[in-house]
Amino acid sequence: MLEKAVYTAAVVAVAWAVTFGLRSLPFLLFAGRSRDLPPSVERFGAFVSPVIIAGLIVYSYSALEWRTAWPYLAGALTVALQLWKGNPLASIIAGTALYMSLLGFCGCATSTVAYEQDIAHPLLHVTRNGMKFMDEYVTPEEAVRRLENGKVPKDVTIYVQVDEDFDDQRALWVFKNNYLSRAGYTRSAWVHRRRAESGSADKVDRNLNERKIPFEGRTIRQEPGKRIVHTHPSANP
Amino acid sequence: MQNVSPRFSHIAPFERRAIFRRAFVNSLPVLMGYVTMGFAAGVLLSVKGGVPFAPLWSLVISATVISGTMSFAIVPALAQGDSLLSVALLTLGINFRYAFYGFSMLGRWRSIPLLQKWFLVHSLADEIYALDVACRIKDSDKHRYYCLWNHALCAAYWVLGSTSGAVAGAALPLPSKGIEFAMVALFLVIFTDQMKGFFRHA
Repeated sequence: MLEKAVYTAAVVAVAWAVTFGLRSLPFLLFAGRSRDLPPSVERFGAFVSPVIIAGLIVYSYSALEWRTAWPYLAGALTVALQLWKGNPLASIIAGTALYMSLLGFCGCATSTVAYEQDIAHPLLHVTRNGMKFMDEYVTPEEAVRRLENGKVPKDVTIYVQVDEDFDDQRALWVFKNNYLSRAGYTRSAWVHRRRAESGSADKVDRNLNERKIPFEGRTIRQEPGKRIVHTHPSANP
Repeated sequence: MQNVSPRFSHIAPFERRAIFRRAFVNSLPVLMGYVTMGFAAGVLLSVKGGVPFAPLWSLVISATVISGTMSFAIVPALAQGDSLLSVALLTLGINFRYAFYGFSMLGRWRSIPLLQKWFLVHSLADEIYALDVACRIKDSDKHRYYCLWNHALCAAYWVLGSTSGAVAGAALPLPSKGIEFAMVALFLVIFTDQMKGFFRHA
């Protein structure tokens, strides 16, 4: 709580300092002088500010449901109203109202599910046959997409259940760093559970322990109840 | 710098009242805009900002960073826990235009007591600046009196709107899904107006 308050105060202080610095810049630059703005600076200002605003528009769209058509429809309405009537407040209210109602009424196109997860109920499950999202096999991309669409917040720890017989550490590393972290889920934890305790996994591959595991050109028969750990080929002479 | 008194006792009371009335009447459209925009920003901060005591922070933000766009843009930064450097860069990008506002006020505000000048510069936001520029009072002291009232009134509207919005957002279950579009709409409106001006001059 206190940490958050200190952080918020720091953010506000930085925002205020930069804003005030920008506002007082001309008064500092031309202190004691009476001449006006050089025309080159005026032209630069007229050119640079639309570019900045355009960049901000693109950036802020990424926080919306940008994969759907709704933000673009609402944006088109906002721009059209502004061109037609020129009343900023009316354009903003109309655009926002359209976006909010589109999200509300046509929510079927976007995901309205909000998934909850904790260490006892991980959404993700890594098995030898692939990755599962809520008992459904998905690609890693799809898994991350479902987390995002399911409104799983980015600041919580993502728990991933890893089967005992899954020994591809590199694949886990790749999933953690190339998929979860890149999507903003920087905190994740592996949940190792015995196969007997995880009910859903057994239904899919009941006879997994009897299966042959190819490794380094050799075939190793995995005995039931015994875990094979291969970290690096050099560790297995 | 000339020796200018910070007081306005040399302006006749009836004239001061007239200037205040003029400032107030001219600021009425800004009252409508600032209270509603501030309300939206306050609701957004308390619903999406993820900060404890959102109304208090809304008050602090609206009184220090008197900038509508920044009040919206600071919310995702706070929610995601952005680094201070990226907040500084974001502010720089969004509020870069303010660096050009002061240039046109250099001449008119040349001989103003430091504390009053500090307040005028501190609250030099878009609409407030537009009202300053639109003011046609020739006498420099009366112009200063007008500007001070204009800035004080508009800043008060903004603080009032944001704080009440944050209180409402924290207390009531307002429909908030999609409210973040207000900021994008604000950018779109600013950009549209800039393009309008650009093609008119070209």
